[in-house]
Amino acid sequence: MEMIQRNKATAIFLYVSLLAFISFVIYLLYINQEVLYTAHDRSEFIVGAPFFHTLVSKPFGLMQYAGAWLTQLFYHPALGACLLVAIWALIFLVGAKAFRLQGAATALMLLPIACLLTSIVDLGYWIYIFSIRGYWFSQSVGYLAMLLLLWAARCTPRRWHLAWYLLGFCIYPVLGWFALLFMLCLMLCDRPSWRELLGVVLLLFTASIWRTLVYSNQNPDDVMLAGLPRFITPIDSSSYLSIPFWALAAFTVFIPLCGRYLSRWFVPVLCAAAGIIYTCSFQFSDRNYTDEMRMMRLASDDNWQEVLRVAAENPNPSHSMVMLRNIALMNEGGLLERSFQLGNSGTDIHNPDSLHVSLLNIASPLVYYNYGKVNLAIRLSFENAVATGFSPFYLKILARCARATGEEKVVERYTTLLHHHPFYAHWQPAPISGKVSELQNAFADDINGVDNNCEGYIIYNFSHTSGTDSRTVSEQALFYSMIRRDSRCFWASIRNYVKLHPDEAFPLHAQEAYIMYMDKAPEEKRIMLPVEQQVYDRYKKFWETLEKQAKPGVKLEKIGEDMRREWGGTYWWYNIFGRKLL
Amino acid sequence: MTNMLGLKTKMLAAALVFGALLLLPSCAGHPDVPSSSKDAGCLPAIFPDYCDVTVPCNIAPLNFMLPADQFDACVARFSTPDGRQQTYGKGVKVQMPVSEWHAILDASKGKSLKVEVWGQKENEWLSFAPFEIHVADEPIDEYLSYRLIEPSYIVYDYMEIAQRDLTSFEETQIFNNKVSCDDPKGQCINCHSYQNYKTDNMLFHARVTRGGTVIVSDGKVSKVNLKRDNTISAGVYPAWHPTAKLIAFSTNLTHQVFHTAHPNKVEVFDTASDLILYDVATDSVSIISNDSTLLEVFPTWSPDGRYLYYCKSVPLPEELRGEDISATWSKVQYNLYRRSFELTSRTFGEEELVYDAASADKSVTLPRVSPDGRYILFAEGQHGCFHIWHHDADIACLPLAQDSVIDLSCLNSEGFAESYPTWSINGHWIMCASRRIDGNYSRVFISYFNNGKARKAFLLPQEDPEHNTFRLKSYNRPEFMVEPVGISVDQFSKVFQ
Repeated sequence: MEMIQRNKATAIFLYVSLLAFISFVIYLLYINQEVLYTAHDRSEFIVGAPFFHTLVSKPFGLMQYAGAWLTQLFYHPALGACLLVAIWALIFLVGAKAFRLQGAATALMLLPIACLLTSIVDLGYWIYIFSIRGYWFSQSVGYLAMLLLLWAARCTPRRWHLAWYLLGFCIYPVLGWFALLFMLCLMLCDRPSWRELLGVVLLLFTASIWRTLVYSNQNPDDVMLAGLPRFITPIDSSSYLSIPFWALAAFTVFIPLCGRYLSRWFVPVLCAAAGIIYTCSFQFSDRNYTDEMRMMRLASDDNWQEVLRVAAENPNPSHSMVMLRNIALMNEGGLLERSFQLGNSGTDIHNPDSLHVSLLNIASPLVYYNYGKVNLAIRLSFENAVATGFSPFYLKILARCARATGEEKVVERYTTLLHHHPFYAHWQPAPISGKVSELQNAFADDINGVDNNCEGYIIYNFSHTSGTDSRTVSEQALFYSMIRRDSRCFWASIRNYVKLHPDEAFPLHAQEAYIMYMDKAPEEKRIMLPVEQQVYDRYKKFWETLEKQAKPGVKLEKIGEDMRREWGGTYWWYNIFGRKLL
Repeated sequence: MTNMLGLKTKMLAAALVFGALLLLPSCAGHPDVPSSSKDAGCLPAIFPDYCDVTVPCNIAPLNFMLPADQFDACVARFSTPDGRQQTYGKGVKVQMPVSEWHAILDASKGKSLKVEVWGQKENEWLSFAPFEIHVADEPIDEYLSYRLIEPSYIVYDYMEIAQRDLTSFEETQIFNNKVSCDDPKGQCINCHSYQNYKTDNMLFHARVTRGGTVIVSDGKVSKVNLKRDNTISAGVYPAWHPTAKLIAFSTNLTHQVFHTAHPNKVEVFDTASDLILYDVATDSVSIISNDSTLLEVFPTWSPDGRYLYYCKSVPLPEELRGEDISATWSKVQYNLYRRSFELTSRTFGEEELVYDAASADKSVTLPRVSPDGRYILFAEGQHGCFHIWHHDADIACLPLAQDSVIDLSCLNSEGFAESYPTWSINGHWIMCASRRIDGNYSRVFISYFNNGKARKAFLLPQEDPEHNTFRLKSYNRPEFMVEPVGISVDQFSKVFQ
């Protein structure tokens, strides 16, 4: 009776723990929807033989190919997430069978799943720069395949194990490091014998043999432990992100060794708690990270109203968000009325690896395209795509750029590739907007060096374009000369702006800048413009407040912070306290 | 007599293959010709365009397709001059087995084969005007090598030098830039070059990580550093002397800038370039030409090795001297020169102007002398030295006994860059890299050449015609070879250890 009650209690603890863990997984995937969408947008899958052959010419390439295909499903994050959860559910069930876990011990399978979940939510800004094809699914699919093999192997008599070791060796090109893990687990699942000794030998030499026999044209580092993700770019590397995979391997080895001793009632609680704590401690969580992704998705669809809505809700936007927001204001109107109210001092991105990720990697092609700098958008799309893959994001922006430059055959190439994507079957680049067209035609050709500072280029280029006859460009020229705090550029551009916008109200921020530059950096031959008395009075009040605050020993940053609440939405505050962008 | 017997044997073999094929139509997947169709009244818009092209008698199958967005199916019937016929078509693609295609070529050698194409659109078949494919008597070199690289700007990742069997679709790797690179900064590989179309003496460069020039001399691989105290850089554009173990190189200080609005997008230019001669046996470098005010580049030997041809810039107008590239990019132009070469004394003669392109407001690059020594091919554009980024660049051919170029409009495209021309070993096939398909990705085009006349160029055939869309790499520096490179990637990689 007591035994039955204990079993019942154990089952309750198990189910409650499972329920808690499942709820956690679903919650985490739900709050990472933008990340999952971006995963599809920045992951390469190209239909046809060249991409397939490139991948399968390396060990684990087939898993990567399958992973790359499945990643396309993140176009609908819920769909991709459901599939991922289904794979993890299978991992739980098959793992329990393969390791012969029963009762409370089955909860041990939550630990590998937590590792796989962690690998999905810990990437942070690596999502923009890493180049591991099929990353999002290949590890989960590979691990499931490994467990299926283990299950099948353990269903056969022990005398067959040698054949399974040989199979493990043979499938190394497909499963990569999971084939080695399979052999190791099979060895550890039963008491050692001479078969296991042979298994050890095979395990140790599998990768080298394959490298010598088949993969001699591959770098040895790519063949040894093939498929184990390594996070390396020419300028960045992270061992931190590899930890979940080492942990996955460690847990997988731990389970056959200790699983049978871990059937106490509290094991499910511990496993679920450990999994949740582990994932929480590794997951990348930052509001700007997801808001940036949301704005990128909306901006890619030219949904500028929604871009503005997201921007309005974020008090500390990043540089990319500021740029996208200002493009939205250019398209929706109100750049010189609202931009400084919303803030133009972008914050640096937050990441634990001090990655070299910036506007260049996140949004530069889209920014350049929308500012009519189509050649530069093409160049940076190529630079990024060569490094990380021709993902839907780059194919789409390259198709849009090609349409803007009239290269219809290039449009055809990229749309043909996109049409093989399950969710881009009828995708066509949006017609070139009037703004993009106007901006594109407003600039003569110029020679540009290898400067990849997108933000600096836009600011410098527009602020020096005062002689334009384009209304849009004149607005940008005035805006970016204000951003640059360059009085000479400002006076030149405001004259042109006033000339090209004769019947329009004098925008608030332009008034603020005009009053300030008239006061602090007037031209010899002044241009007289009507300003609102209210704005002028506020300017006087701003300086009075500033003079009061500016006491010896008080730092400028402190004054800026103190004045931010009342004056943070003015050009004056930006001019004095705002972060210098160039 | 022996030739006659050989020909008869080949014809018999072709007939047998044909007969076998006709007996087994269903096994080979040969569709029936539509029983009824509507006359389209025009040639089919097939891709690649193989209508009325002249092809070598040993080329790989000319597989093609109708536009997938316009047609549901395609059937093509090939008729050889002896009256035999065969049909192909699956979906909108026509893909032929290599052996069957070669039987068709054998039966059509020196003559033409007729191609009829039907396209199905909304359950209705359209029959297009038939076209011919002319099969030349002259074969093409069996192998072709090229570097596969994205039409990139600065960043590069995976790149490879590959070799392709032109009689089939087999493509294998000569080398890739990852196998021996242990530095995340990567490695760049380029400028593969062969002596006399053979591969026992060849080279390519590796730059950045563990850089150097990989030289194969009589099958032995080594890596050398060609940067010497008296040269401005390591060797860049190479040219093997046809008989001696000598290689002429240009040495270049190369840069690139980007157009913000111009369709050409990229300008690659040199701020200095000279010519050197490298002696493989003694590992010594001597200067051929190093005019400090002008730029000498793109050396190439005459087939007898008695002349070295090269390009050399003309002086900039007085007002532009000392200006930076933003002012001079469209004004830098190169003419074609040559110097005689005495092999025994290894001395060069005086410089002779071969072709004055600058006076016609043009610029010459990448010269190649025909194997019979009668013609010289080069890429010609309005300015600069890197014509693959210049939309106006075309391939030109100058008979060396004349002053003016001959018409190569059959080889060139309208408004797209052509560059890197080269001859097959028998001088009957001209090959170049062209961006004509979409203006962005360069592909290899081949044209028949005979007695100063070129025929319509055709795109390098692929097993799947859509391969040209799916492969997001350019074919860079296509070079003919008569044999494959026998050294494996792994063997090459050992010189980097």
